[in-house]
Amino acid sequence: MAKDAEKSTWKDFIWNSRTREFCGRTGSSWGLILLFYLVFYIFLAGMFCLTMYVMLQTLDDYKPTWQDRLGTPGMMIRPRGKAMEISYNTTNTETWDMYIKTLDNFLSPYNNSLQAEKNEECTPDQYFVQADSGDVKNNPKRSCQFNRTFLEKCSGLDDHTYGYQAGKPCIIIKLNRVIGMLPGKDGQAPFVTCGAKRYKVGKDEWKEDSDKIGEVEYYPENGTFNLMYYPYYGKKAQVNYSQPLVAIKFLNITLNEDINIECRIISNNIPPGSVRDKFAGKVSFKLRINTKG
Amino acid sequence: MAYSQCFSVSLSHTNTHTHTYALSLSLSLSLSLSLSLPSLSVSLFLLSLSLSSFSLSLPSLSLFLLSLSLSLSLSLSLSLSLSLSLSLSLSVSVSLSFPPSLSTFQTEHKMSIEECCRKFNTDIVQGLTNAKAAEFLIRDGPNCLTPPPTTPEWIKFCRQLFGGFSILLWTGAILCFLAYAIQAATEDEPAGDNLYLGIVLSVVVVVTGCFSYFQEAKSSKIMESFKNMVPQQALVIREGEKMTINAEEVVAGDLVEVKGGDRIPADLRVVSAHGCKVDNSSLTGESEPQSRSPDCTHDNPLETRNVAFFSTNCVEGTARGIVVCTGDRTVMGRIATLTSGLESGKTPIAKEIEHFIHLITGVAVFLGITFFILAVCLGYTWLEAVIFLIGIIVANVPEGLLATVTVCLTLTAKRMAKKNCLVKNLEAVETLGSTSTICSDKTGTLTQNRMTVAHMWFDNQIHEADTTEDQSGASFDKTSASWAALARVAALCNRAVFKAGQDQLPILKRDTAGDASESALLKCIELSCGSVKQIREKNKKVAEIPFNSTNKYQLSVHETEDPNDNRYLLVMKGAPERILDRCTTIIIQGKEQPMDEEMKESFQNAYMELGGLGERVLGFCHLLMPEDQYPKGFAFDCDDVNFTTESLCFVGLMSMIDPPRAAVPDAVGKCRSAGIKVIMVTGDHPITAKAIAKGVGIISEGNETVEDIASRLNIPVSQVNPRDAKACVIHGTDLKELSQDQMDDILRNHTEIVFARTSPQQKLIIVEGCQRLGAIVAVTGDGVNDSPALKKADIGVAMGISGSDVSKQAADMILLDDNFASIVTGVEEGRLIFDNLKKSIAYTLTSNIPEITPFLLFIIVNIPLPLGTITILCIDLGTDMVPAISLAYEAAESDIMKRQPRNPTRDKLVNERLISIAYGQIGMIQALGGFFSYFVILAENGFLPSILVGIRLNWDDRACNDLEDSYGQQWTYEQRKIVEFTCHTAFFVSIVVVQWADVIVCKTRRNSVFQQGMKNKILIFGLFEETALAAFLSYTPGIHLHKQIDIDIHLHKQTYIYTNR
Repeated sequence: MAKDAEKSTWKDFIWNSRTREFCGRTGSSWGLILLFYLVFYIFLAGMFCLTMYVMLQTLDDYKPTWQDRLGTPGMMIRPRGKAMEISYNTTNTETWDMYIKTLDNFLSPYNNSLQAEKNEECTPDQYFVQADSGDVKNNPKRSCQFNRTFLEKCSGLDDHTYGYQAGKPCIIIKLNRVIGMLPGKDGQAPFVTCGAKRYKVGKDEWKEDSDKIGEVEYYPENGTFNLMYYPYYGKKAQVNYSQPLVAIKFLNITLNEDINIECRIISNNIPPGSVRDKFAGKVSFKLRINTKG
Repeated sequence: MAYSQCFSVSLSHTNTHTHTYALSLSLSLSLSLSLSLPSLSVSLFLLSLSLSSFSLSLPSLSLFLLSLSLSLSLSLSLSLSLSLSLSLSLSVSVSLSFPPSLSTFQTEHKMSIEECCRKFNTDIVQGLTNAKAAEFLIRDGPNCLTPPPTTPEWIKFCRQLFGGFSILLWTGAILCFLAYAIQAATEDEPAGDNLYLGIVLSVVVVVTGCFSYFQEAKSSKIMESFKNMVPQQALVIREGEKMTINAEEVVAGDLVEVKGGDRIPADLRVVSAHGCKVDNSSLTGESEPQSRSPDCTHDNPLETRNVAFFSTNCVEGTARGIVVCTGDRTVMGRIATLTSGLESGKTPIAKEIEHFIHLITGVAVFLGITFFILAVCLGYTWLEAVIFLIGIIVANVPEGLLATVTVCLTLTAKRMAKKNCLVKNLEAVETLGSTSTICSDKTGTLTQNRMTVAHMWFDNQIHEADTTEDQSGASFDKTSASWAALARVAALCNRAVFKAGQDQLPILKRDTAGDASESALLKCIELSCGSVKQIREKNKKVAEIPFNSTNKYQLSVHETEDPNDNRYLLVMKGAPERILDRCTTIIIQGKEQPMDEEMKESFQNAYMELGGLGERVLGFCHLLMPEDQYPKGFAFDCDDVNFTTESLCFVGLMSMIDPPRAAVPDAVGKCRSAGIKVIMVTGDHPITAKAIAKGVGIISEGNETVEDIASRLNIPVSQVNPRDAKACVIHGTDLKELSQDQMDDILRNHTEIVFARTSPQQKLIIVEGCQRLGAIVAVTGDGVNDSPALKKADIGVAMGISGSDVSKQAADMILLDDNFASIVTGVEEGRLIFDNLKKSIAYTLTSNIPEITPFLLFIIVNIPLPLGTITILCIDLGTDMVPAISLAYEAAESDIMKRQPRNPTRDKLVNERLISIAYGQIGMIQALGGFFSYFVILAENGFLPSILVGIRLNWDDRACNDLEDSYGQQWTYEQRKIVEFTCHTAFFVSIVVVQWADVIVCKTRRNSVFQQGMKNKILIFGLFEETALAAFLSYTPGIHLHKQIDIDIHLHKQTYIYTNR
């Protein structure tokens, strides 16, 4: 008997034809509940949107409220490789073809013609300050030309393989954009220097590959980021900003071996980044060039 | 403020900005606070006045929301749990059948003594031989009850560890380990958080398991202390010699001698007796001592005079008997065995928790599967989707709830122990609260278990004596000369004496030696006329005829007080009609008058009236013997009565009753207003039972039984419509003949029921009948005969003082003061804990939504994770704990004892309504509050909401160190992770803040917060503690950030691989 009761209760629960109840409630009851939740959630959503709108109104369009996370700008390389590992085989075109493509894409906005069209030539070695006069915004802000040819051998114009085929690869280094950052004081421009990276091989055992890196060339000269590209005024105010680049070319790096390289920014105005952050003011990557098939 | 707390480790130079963050956060707070106000219409306008407004809108909250709530997502889980609980009920409804042995077990009482001796190879004079006795002892085992199989400690411990709620957490932990195993098998560096979560869950279960185990161990220790450790002795005759041996060594066939005050060592067939009376109350519930004699008077061994039962007491006289049964084979042993064979059902709270688990599991699985499907559709791999599935299911487990529930129950158990209710099983705390029927024993629970003189009749008038425990009741006129005469007769014709050494005690508390009614008289006279001892000394006893059942009177002859008066005074008491027959005169106002018909009629009326009150009436008379016939020194011969026992002078009547306890009528009234039906179940006479029931309000004033109606209308009982009578008194013999349907009919249609003359089996039938009608039944009792019912009841309540060990073992709760009124306190506490648990659970469940929605949005719309696993644990096992527990201290709401007991089928601890409010409404508001602070932190750092959607793949990619924000700035992985952790902290603090409001919302069920007030100090402490803990977790360098980073690095390793595929 209990079993029958259970069965009918179970069926009744889903659809009780006697009371016309679905899952224990009549249609109008369900309707009221759904209506309530509909109204309730619409109200909540409206409330949320209102508060979000108010919050967004408090923000400045040209500069974020806080930038203290970005005290030390990050650095990055191109091509990025797979998890900061660039490895290819000189004899196998397919292994480095993607790097060439990445660089071509990356550098195309820097073509001299484009730069000349959009940006202007500025006075080198001094900040290109375009201050607003009080509430009147001096917008849009102009940007300085960074021509692809500045990268000389790494511009890809003469050697369209950027030296990859020859085993003398170019790596392009950039400093992360930070609004209003002035990377050097007293007219000294920051520059990039690359060396071997100390890395851990065992417990309390460190190693570095300084003897294997060989000669390195920097373009532009000394690997400097010219001061005229700073300060940056943000995506909205400075639409055509060209981020300055530094290219490094490894002339006789040891082949067929993993080589850990670290590049850092040298500046009298950029604080050393947190120990934890491996990309604040420096960038490290692994390079391996194979020659055997 | 939330901003800087995350950074405190790595950076200290952010301080300049903190105040602005505090501003933006306070905006989010006020938003979430005002949103938590349940009344929507008000909160729109009160955004700025958030704090002051929520109290205003609270009262309307419940009404408004309750009427309209049910969340869609629940229907699935609901039906799931429903089917489960139904299948459970199947297994529970096993009907109970009694072993037929009780009625047929003995035939010895029908045998002659010689047959009996033959059967046991014993001798009526010499007893057993020592050799035989030793042989029987080996054959039958020792004469003691086998204790009920005690559960080994480790099983009890495991029960705590794996019972009920723990299962949910264990499942969660296992799922966590499973997820970790999957990750460990598929990744080089598996994410640690599933492992940590699993470990934390296991630790929580083990710790709370230990806690409740020790809690129960404590109360079982108190139980142990009840046990009487003094070994019983018995006087046996073996090989013709009397010897005292341990009662355990008594064997069948032994010849045993018992005297007044002894405990009967085994079931005895009486072979000879001298004025022997035994107190069978612990076996049959009859409060009056019964005489024993060698003659078989009844076929039923329980009724016959020639059997004395194991573990009952011999009150007076001596007897000698042959042991017919020992140990578990005795009547008492069989009842005890019957009890341990009974399965007691699950406690209501256990059922509630089971239901709750079904609900939660339903919600969790539903959410999990939905998002599993979504995740697969969104292009995650199967393995990732499975990890998400497990993550979502585990995130639904309220980690802190088990601890909260256990602590709440323990607190209440302690509070009840203070009010004299010892709770053996933690879960039983709540059972009393849901009780809808109480089957109460009469003797000792409702009454004082002490015969007391209640009324007297002299001077043709009924006088009322004071029966209260503290002598605060009415008094009567003591100046009448008739009263002096009556008191003298009552004092002299009385063999009861006070035991020595009790002079300091109040008279009513003193122990007496003697018959219960004689003791009542003794105390009554001692109270009103001073020392009985002196009266007796002044009136030396010359001769005495003790009470016997053929004469139905007792008389004694005394010298008079006046030394010059040489007459003797004959005093007599006994059954009133027999006394009256012997009287020719009556004392009225101190003067002797002839007994005329008119007087006889008024005597009859008084007798009937007192008898109708359920009182035991005794008549008293005296005679000053003429000096010429009975000169000084007359030799009174009591065996061959050589003096007159006729034409005496009637003095008066005195009637005695075991009066109700003072607090009981009030307690019964409270039960009634609380919608609890009180049923009296007693072994006593129907008239007495009815009188007491009327006295304590179990049969309330103006309610009549069928018999009452019949006598009022002067029609036969059969013509009365039983529906007209709300009350009824049912005799045990009638109960026997009732069918199940008739029984149900009686229980359903009568609100006030008294069962008289019931046997243990019938008690059990009554309990089962009530349970069949869906009631949650509490049973009180003290005797062995009650223990099956105690065990069968949803909650058995035993008496701590008068209760037998067997009954205490069978019970779930023990009243340390034997007072029925304590049960009412228990009911109140039980209801309170149910309410408060509900509040606690609502509070704890609410924060599940703001905890789980971040993960869901993380999966679905690919925003940076707003709230991390460790932060969730910080909420569930950290900040939420004290406020949740503090709700257990919440005072009762005004109507707690005025509403009906909860309906176990509808009024669930956790129902869809609660889930709907907690998850669908308050939880959603909380989640919005949290997300608001999350968006504020990100937007002010440059990531506007518009670019967040879909950013997760790059955001969590460790190789992407130039992620662009809305302003064109570029971020390294670590830089944006620190912002993300700031979001976690902000989200965490937002939840803490909205939980402030939530605890106030959950504080009341029906009252408004104004009616209830903020008097709960623990709750106020909880609010501060929660805030302080949140600040500690946020600001203390080292404890938060490091863990977060390590874990999140692992967590996102997986997505990092995914992105770079």
